[in-house]
Amino acid sequence: MARQLSRAQVRKQRMQDAVNFPLDWLEERSGLVGGVRYFLFRKVPGDTNWMQTLGSATLTAFLVQAITGVILAMYYKPTPNDAYASIQNITDHVTMGWLVRGMHKWGASVFIILMFLHMGRVFLFGAYKYPRELNWVIGVLLLTMGMMEGFTGYLLPWDQTAYWASVVGINLNGTAPFLGPWLAQFLRSGQEISGDTLTRFYSLHMLLVPGGIMALIGLHLYLVIRLGVTSPPWSKEAAGSELVEEPAAATAARPGLTRPVARGTAAGGSE
Amino acid sequence: MAAHAGSEKPRPIDERRAGFARYKQDVKERGKPFYPYAMFHDTVMSLVVVSVIVALACIWKWTSWAPHHDGTHQGLLGPEYTARADPGTDNFVPRPDWYFYFLFYLLRIFKWPESVFLGTVGVPTIALLLLIGVPFYDLRRERRLLRRPLAAVGAVLVVLSMAVLTWKGATASEALASEVIADVPHWISQEKLPPQAQPGAKLFAVAGCTACHTYLGTGSSNLGAPDLTAIGTRNLGIQFQINHLKCPSCVNPGSPMPKFASLGDKRLKQLATFLEASKGKQ
Repeated sequence: MARQLSRAQVRKQRMQDAVNFPLDWLEERSGLVGGVRYFLFRKVPGDTNWMQTLGSATLTAFLVQAITGVILAMYYKPTPNDAYASIQNITDHVTMGWLVRGMHKWGASVFIILMFLHMGRVFLFGAYKYPRELNWVIGVLLLTMGMMEGFTGYLLPWDQTAYWASVVGINLNGTAPFLGPWLAQFLRSGQEISGDTLTRFYSLHMLLVPGGIMALIGLHLYLVIRLGVTSPPWSKEAAGSELVEEPAAATAARPGLTRPVARGTAAGGSE
Repeated sequence: MAAHAGSEKPRPIDERRAGFARYKQDVKERGKPFYPYAMFHDTVMSLVVVSVIVALACIWKWTSWAPHHDGTHQGLLGPEYTARADPGTDNFVPRPDWYFYFLFYLLRIFKWPESVFLGTVGVPTIALLLLIGVPFYDLRRERRLLRRPLAAVGAVLVVLSMAVLTWKGATASEALASEVIADVPHWISQEKLPPQAQPGAKLFAVAGCTACHTYLGTGSSNLGAPDLTAIGTRNLGIQFQINHLKCPSCVNPGSPMPKFASLGDKRLKQLATFLEASKGKQ
């Protein structure tokens, strides 16, 4: 027989329903709440370490680039006559403009360094091996697209360094066999570097390449969540290792979230 | 399970699949949830990343703040901007952002025209293909680095060569017009340049040529550009030299050299005369 609820309990129940209503509404129509819950509470090996934060650190650096890039785009003018002056304006006059531009410029270097460090970590851990080969390939594509962002962004301030580095950079692309001349022509948008080159680089830099990077990051993360992250290979309790030593009694006595439980012991519960 | 497997050695793919199934099982039984454990580490690391970026931006700004603020002032991390782009400029040093220095320096090793292709396309393409292919030729299941000697040695070599190339690219000497012009009298005496070739020699020193070409040991060798000490011995002709300066890639398909048409006909003729008169040390 159902217990009678006190008036206070009924009120609490109604409050909870009211607060949860938007989430329930969203979950019923999209399943997104369940997705986020799965993402947050999925299990990762108990021995993951600090080196494995390099991937999310790279994502953070990319987000910094995206946010500061959007703000810069509000003030930057991609024409040969205005580009340089608008960069001066952002740096010297716009409120906090120097900070946003500085973060974008130096964030690019941090982003590239973190991509390399993250790749080094994956290599060190042998984490590119079955079944994660595809995610390694996507990662290398992200690395090259990140470098493309560096190349196309370098021209935009339209100062001497920018201009001549790009002249030579485009000419170097042109030395490739077969596609080279076509590629150089495409990048320059004609025979000479001109205003069309600047708008083309701007479009590549803020639409095409970042769009591709975002799509690939989505795929990259999907595969990370689907396949899981690897244990450090030297770990005594590495997930999936045949060489796992059964944890000593002292460890097993304190099963829990931070203390991994030995394989096959009852703490898992269901079996 | 499968009947035919019997006494045979298990296929590598079956071993890999079994290993991954074991991994899934272990994580399920002994893992910890991403939130809050791993996510805590990720959050701390992200805060560090953002702080470092903000700090770099501040150092860039505050150390380049000259008494009368000027964005071209050289701070600890370089100027905020250099002079406005000028396609008709006389002197420039092409330099990419630092993370391209390893490619930039690779082009000092390979010279135009025989092997520059290796520096611009050959080596980088092969390196990229080798990088993408790592999981497809490294098929062993072993993940501990000490038991992967080839991978360990390869990684150390790659890191070392990237570091050395980046360092060499960063410290590569740049030929500044003001310093190069001092060598012109030396050129004239060593190469016994006739008087009509001397205006061209001065122009050569200040027009940025020595940013990529060397001449009697002066200048820096970049982007695979050849040494021009004895270019005149090839007897290419003044008209060829003028055409080449106007549009290098029209004459030498694929040449990465910028066009110098903006120097004007008179100065191009002077440069061409100088180049044709350069027959090496006499």
